[in-house]
Amino acid sequence: MSATELLIELTLMPLVAFVVGMMMVLMMRRIAAKLQRRVGPPFFQPLYDIVKLHSKRTQVSHGLIHDIGIVMAMGGYIAAETLLPVPGMNGIAEKGGIITLLYLMMIPSLGLALGVGQCANPNGSIGIARALTAMLAYDIPLVIVVFGVAYAAGTTNLIDIIATQQAGGFETWGVTQMPLLAIAGLIAMHASLGKQPFEIYIAPAEIATGPMVEMGGKYLGGLFVMQCFQLYTTAVLYVSLFLGGGTTWFDFLLKSFLVLAIPMSIAYLFPRYRTEDLLRLMWKWPVMLGLIGIAFVI
Amino acid sequence: MSSIKQIPVVEAKRTNPLARVFDDLVRFCRSRSLFILHYCTGCGAIELPPAMTSRFDMERLGIQPMVSPRQADILLITGYVSIKTLKRVILTYEQMGSPKYVIGICSCTVNGGMYWQSYATAKKLDEYMPVDLYIAGCMPRPEAVIEGLQQLMDRIHAGEANSWEDYYRNYDYYLGNQQKLFGEDWQTPTDVISEAKHYDLLSNGTLGDHTRLLEQHQKPLEALEMRLGHEQKEPAK
Repeated sequence: MSATELLIELTLMPLVAFVVGMMMVLMMRRIAAKLQRRVGPPFFQPLYDIVKLHSKRTQVSHGLIHDIGIVMAMGGYIAAETLLPVPGMNGIAEKGGIITLLYLMMIPSLGLALGVGQCANPNGSIGIARALTAMLAYDIPLVIVVFGVAYAAGTTNLIDIIATQQAGGFETWGVTQMPLLAIAGLIAMHASLGKQPFEIYIAPAEIATGPMVEMGGKYLGGLFVMQCFQLYTTAVLYVSLFLGGGTTWFDFLLKSFLVLAIPMSIAYLFPRYRTEDLLRLMWKWPVMLGLIGIAFVI
Repeated sequence: MSSIKQIPVVEAKRTNPLARVFDDLVRFCRSRSLFILHYCTGCGAIELPPAMTSRFDMERLGIQPMVSPRQADILLITGYVSIKTLKRVILTYEQMGSPKYVIGICSCTVNGGMYWQSYATAKKLDEYMPVDLYIAGCMPRPEAVIEGLQQLMDRIHAGEANSWEDYYRNYDYYLGNQQKLFGEDWQTPTDVISEAKHYDLLSNGTLGDHTRLLEQHQKPLEALEMRLGHEQKEPAK
């Protein structure tokens, strides 16, 4: 592949992720509306929100680290998009591998922790402490699941993992080969999205949206953009690990949206766990399922 | 007010042909995405849950609740404002990011309503901060609330909802009314005059007798002392 082609792919992949991510945010809000018997927001609502937030006259910065934190939160995901193969574009997925991808997916939380720390708002500090605790909770089952899949495929290269799954149709998909790992992965993915019942660090009624409490204008807009990337990254990672990636854009997007619709439909039916309950739940059930799943694989 | 129209207004020259299109897009997005901060002081708050949830669903207009002043566009004050509450309302208002809009719901914010004779209630909200829209009624139905919000949306799209600039242009007037109510040593953490300079909105009404009074006793803000645990203060002897 020539350098120009690679450059075009590296530009296109985050852009596609952003557009698809906005549609995923829309789907999330529409699902919430349907479950509550409402009409829901119009089609371009996520775009309106982002444009409006970036066009506010007042942009309150709390210092350099605050600015850098938001850039890190977005940049971590933008870098992660280039490692996620989509139909027709592989980016640098071959060189990166799945372990780099997992590392990159942790950067946004750390960036947020830096940025929120400088805001000096107690609600923000509590929120970010809870966010990092939640990360500790869901990363252990996630790493177990990813290890199991990589062990079964014999490689950490995401392109090869997708290729082995696509070789024999539905029967060689991760979800039929390793159903226990797939269930554990779904729970870990739900927790990593930070939606109810795992919504401990947003908690609007309790700590006033936690990390977002001091964010206004383009800072909040940056976090809205980050949310688009977060939904896309999580859904596409799950599709690549268990649902055989995508051969065409149609079935790729269909799978991603369907996978994301599962936690979204569950989320708006439940209230919130406490932090220690989340930790206990995440370290018990998905970890147990994941370990049994690994035993089957080995 | 006729003298205002005699002031010559110099329009900034537009060289980029796309600038107008972009401005229109921004105004449209501002009108279609409104984050509300509720300041639920009185009984009007009871009409907001039906306006937000399944019966009338404000989200289909792009209006959704937010929880902190930094994130919000609209400050929604739903009922009577006592003098003690008004201090908090002003602090909240000054922390919000521009462009910001204030909506007063219920007749109590218009003229004091049934608290007209109360000694502890601020009667007219627009004496203390610029109000974009009043929704009168005791209490207004959710239909009226949504109708009012739609009027605000139309005005934002037309570029007419600029009352937040009025707070900077006529700060002396608003500060005077606030001082009348809270005493002469009233001070907020926000430096409104510097902000007015920042937005280029400094005008004849910004500075005056009341801001001079403010400058006399204004104390610079200091960070709170960090302390662990509860320390009981010694009673003064």
